Amino acid sequence: MVKYRPDDEVDFVIVGSGAAGGVVAKELSTAGFRVVVLEQGPWRTEKDFIHDEIKAFDGLLTNKWDVSPNTFRKTEKETAKKQPCVLYGRGVGGTSVHFSANYWRFREIDFKEASMKGTIAGTGFTDWPITYQDLEPYYAKVDWEVGVAGAPGPYDPPRSRPYPMPPHPPKSMGVLLEKGARKMGWKPFPAPMAIASKPYNSRAQCVQCGFCIGFGCEVGAKSSSLVTVIPVAVATGKCEVRPSSYVRKIETNDRGRVTGVKYFDGNKTEIFQRAKAVVVCANGAETPRLLLNSKSNLFPNGLANSSGVVGKHLMFNGAGNSVGVFEHEVNGYKGIVATRIVWDLYELDKTLGLVGGGGFDYRFDVTPIGFPGSYLPPKSPTWGKAFKRLVAHNYNRTVVCYGHTSSLPVPTNSISLDPTLKDDWGVPAIRMTFQDHPQDLKLYKYFAERGEEMLKASGAVQAWQQPVESAQFSVHLLGTCRMGNDPKSSVVDKYNRAHDVKNLFIVDGSSLVTCGRGQPTMTIQALAFRAGDNIARFAKQHDI
Amino acid sequence: MTDLSRRQFIAAAGTGVASVWFTANAADVLAAARHAASAQPFEVLSPADAADLEAFTAQIVPTDETPGAREARVVYFMDRALATFAKDNRPNVEKGLKELRARARKAQRGATSFAALSNDKQIAVVASMERDKHPFFDDTRQATIAGMLAMPEYGGNYNKIGWKWIGFDDRFSWAAPFGWYDRDA
Repeated sequence: MVKYRPDDEVDFVIVGSGAAGGVVAKELSTAGFRVVVLEQGPWRTEKDFIHDEIKAFDGLLTNKWDVSPNTFRKTEKETAKKQPCVLYGRGVGGTSVHFSANYWRFREIDFKEASMKGTIAGTGFTDWPITYQDLEPYYAKVDWEVGVAGAPGPYDPPRSRPYPMPPHPPKSMGVLLEKGARKMGWKPFPAPMAIASKPYNSRAQCVQCGFCIGFGCEVGAKSSSLVTVIPVAVATGKCEVRPSSYVRKIETNDRGRVTGVKYFDGNKTEIFQRAKAVVVCANGAETPRLLLNSKSNLFPNGLANSSGVVGKHLMFNGAGNSVGVFEHEVNGYKGIVATRIVWDLYELDKTLGLVGGGGFDYRFDVTPIGFPGSYLPPKSPTWGKAFKRLVAHNYNRTVVCYGHTSSLPVPTNSISLDPTLKDDWGVPAIRMTFQDHPQDLKLYKYFAERGEEMLKASGAVQAWQQPVESAQFSVHLLGTCRMGNDPKSSVVDKYNRAHDVKNLFIVDGSSLVTCGRGQPTMTIQALAFRAGDNIARFAKQHDI
Repeated sequence: MTDLSRRQFIAAAGTGVASVWFTANAADVLAAARHAASAQPFEVLSPADAADLEAFTAQIVPTDETPGAREARVVYFMDRALATFAKDNRPNVEKGLKELRARARKAQRGATSFAALSNDKQIAVVASMERDKHPFFDDTRQATIAGMLAMPEYGGNYNKIGWKWIGFDDRFSWAAPFGWYDRDA
């Protein structure tokens, strides 16, 4: 791999190597630019990925709250308390290493829902400055260059290319979902998954080990940035990926241009890497934190924050879940998380008085230790012989109906800097302020109810709804540096360039104006391919 | 915390799955796995502590027609955890065991240990701790589940007894039919 000296002014520094950063690195390095990717975590390989739940619970692959704590509050009136509330992958490949790889595209409506359905008072619900059609060629790039398995469904938005790989086998959970959905009058179809269903681009086919969510893929079948775009970027000889590099500040000069970034290496030594331009791909929590921590005389409210909306409009997506128990063994633990989905409630009948919509899958998203504490029926025994019998009976017969939904961008839901708490490097910590919008809580409940009905239609002998409550924790970190045409109400323009700083680009979940129906990574990566394309074009035209 | 779903996956680590037992860093967890690979007598627990803890775990997952926490050697999992990644939890365990013995004495005058109580009295004592929401109850209950179901390298789940309990097969490679309903595909 090429190595650059910190005082060598490279063309681009990319902060973060995850779903977005990996794609941008690939696009810019294959276009011939000299790129340094700074990743705060280590560079792991497949041999590091094991099925050890204790290590996974302990943050083997994820951010570490003991050295990098969060604080949380529901409203701006409260003083935030120290509490883990943000989870993301820490390491080359980012969260794409341990995610479950649901790769739903957004649909046309997601880009223009506010104008089609009406805005909502007290929210920042608005249209995107781009349309589905603008993004479609880049969705196709994700399908092919990252690797998505699937088959066209009845509600698919138009696609220019077919899926490169066939869908995964339905498993018993998919069979049950199809049965229940059809009884409900719905049209289920194969789940698009970024997991190789056949050998693909020199990668192995999925062995259906069942340890996707929370775990790295030991055979390289999961289409993470680690095994897809990062190797392509490195192979150009133009891209250096520098792990254990934690960026604390983006530096600017007195002309308001970015000059590089200050970061800590693995020994906590501070290093300044010079760059002609910076692309921030640090995720919807760390990206606004970095911008807010990059204050200067010219940018007193944080970098790229003349609008004041950096960190605002935080969205998680919602969830309305139900659980069912079936007569025979389903064995949900075997194989990928979801195989079939339902999109019939993507948009809802106006008479329901609900905003947004969603989709369903059937899944079994816990590994053994997590099961007894999460998916037993309400009021079950928690110890003793009856508990033992119940766990033994239910483990292989339990199915979770996950209702993935939209959620509204509320300006007071935000990532900001905690006024007192700092991390182990002395950098102000993430403070989250979040309360689900009342309209959203109604929506989640609606999905939990319909999910329970579908489980019963599938033949569940017992089904119940999981409680719906306002979230205090998320892995979907979206909307905090939103895209828009108006510099007064958005952070980046439709090419992911910061309105305020010509040579600063922001590309990750923070760019999203709305959050779709629950599966954002496909759209984050399509945006990253599009941004990479445009950034390369601007650079070639000396327009950066 | 009842939902270990995507959104709250790892809040499980902080608040759901045996909260106080799993708050250390990954290096300590690695040490635990290495440690467990070399079977040893108890490192942290005294014989009396181990006996009471084991009796408690055996009430959470009792032995009946099939093996339970005792046979799965869950107490060894706990000892190794307390020696490594859960070392910060030692004072809580000590306090909890003290309370457990105090309640054992109440249940049977002169009793010096929980383990020596009759089965019925043990159940009554555990039930009283559950009713009073004593933190030792839930912490130890969750650690028992973890000791049943964690990889055997951590000292519990002996002979994969825990995995056999729930019907989890650690083959890590599957093809159709995955379950009974695949026949309707």
